Amino acid sequence: MTGNLAERQAALVAALVAGGPLPPGFDPVRLAATRRALLRKRAADAARLWPLLAGSLGADWPRVFAAHQDGHEPVGALRDGWDVAVALRECGELAASAAAELAGREATMRYDGRGAPRRRSLAGRAMAALRRR
Amino acid sequence: MAAGGAVAAAAGGESPPPLPAGVGVGWRPEIAGWVADRAAPAFCEVIAESFAPAVPPRGVAELRERGIPVVPHGVRLSLGGAEPVEAARVAHLAACAAALSAPLVSEHVAFVRAGGRDAGHLLPVPRSRDALDVLTANVRRLQAELDVPLALEPIAALFDWPDDEYSEPDFLRELLERTGALLLLDVANVHANALNRGQDPEAILDRLPLDRVAYVHVAGGAEHPDDPGLYHDTHTDPVPPAVLGLLERLVERVPGPAVMLERDGRYPPGAELTAELEVIATAAGLPR
Repeated sequence: MTGNLAERQAALVAALVAGGPLPPGFDPVRLAATRRALLRKRAADAARLWPLLAGSLGADWPRVFAAHQDGHEPVGALRDGWDVAVALRECGELAASAAAELAGREATMRYDGRGAPRRRSLAGRAMAALRRR
Repeated sequence: MAAGGAVAAAAGGESPPPLPAGVGVGWRPEIAGWVADRAAPAFCEVIAESFAPAVPPRGVAELRERGIPVVPHGVRLSLGGAEPVEAARVAHLAACAAALSAPLVSEHVAFVRAGGRDAGHLLPVPRSRDALDVLTANVRRLQAELDVPLALEPIAALFDWPDDEYSEPDFLRELLERTGALLLLDVANVHANALNRGQDPEAILDRLPLDRVAYVHVAGGAEHPDDPGLYHDTHTDPVPPAVLGLLERLVERVPGPAVMLERDGRYPPGAELTAELEVIATAAGLPR
């Protein structure tokens, strides 16, 4: 086996959560099962922070979440759910309850889809409210 | 025999058992009301990374006021990661232990991040000499900041590394010998790994360092329709009879354990959780 432990662990994580290639020697069936199990766990974590989004999709939530996040590394339950909500809104598939949940978050926090969401100042909240009119 | 009798015996009978014999439960905010009013736990565990030592949740503070031991359980230290364990994570776990006056703390034989990416869950390390070396170094870094014993939990995993040099029991025995750490034995993990590797779980039990058991985890799991024949340690399903049976086999070898239920989602009504604690107590030969 080539490569040191740090490189091999990084390659394994990349394969499991970031769409990286299958590291040599591993059982591809078991790694695929692990990849899906990790996505289900992330979906459950995101559902706790995005109850209306997850609830609007019911039993379909883990599948929809996985369809959007497979190959995208975990960035925390708040952003994981936020990214799915924005993607669904862009393709017109966001339910009204979930849209209200997303609008509520956007009113109080600023999130550019890349870094950690930040709380808006009072002035920023007022501006966000104006933009939504 | 008292809880942790095996540990006390291993230490020449001098160290008191870290936890009382009895059935405990993993404290989670979603089931805090049930834990406070119905569970009557012998002890509890909190997820260290969800716990703020300066402002503990009221439910946890009340457990401590009632004299119920609470163990901080780390899930994100990544002790098996090739990089040195992060000092801030070590300091946080030590602060949790201090705030709770915990009799011990626990973490996993696992890594959770590498190469700047976070897997979001516990992953298995290769059972190799170099992995044993990095684990030993990280465990010692953690122990150096703790005033209480550390128990290490072997995880459930759906895969193994291709170049394992040790069996899981031998790897664990070597790690505990090198570090002096105790064993947090999750019988559901033993069940899951044995089933998924085509091994006999009871034979695995006999090869584990049971004289180092500090306490025991029990959790539910299930097969998933996408992966027929694979057992997933979900913590969101009921505890299956086979896991309770393995707990019975463990208790034949380690009588009077401190044993606790881990439930992490899809919480059933409190009455169902209470019933699950009852069957765990029965399987473990403990009063309720």
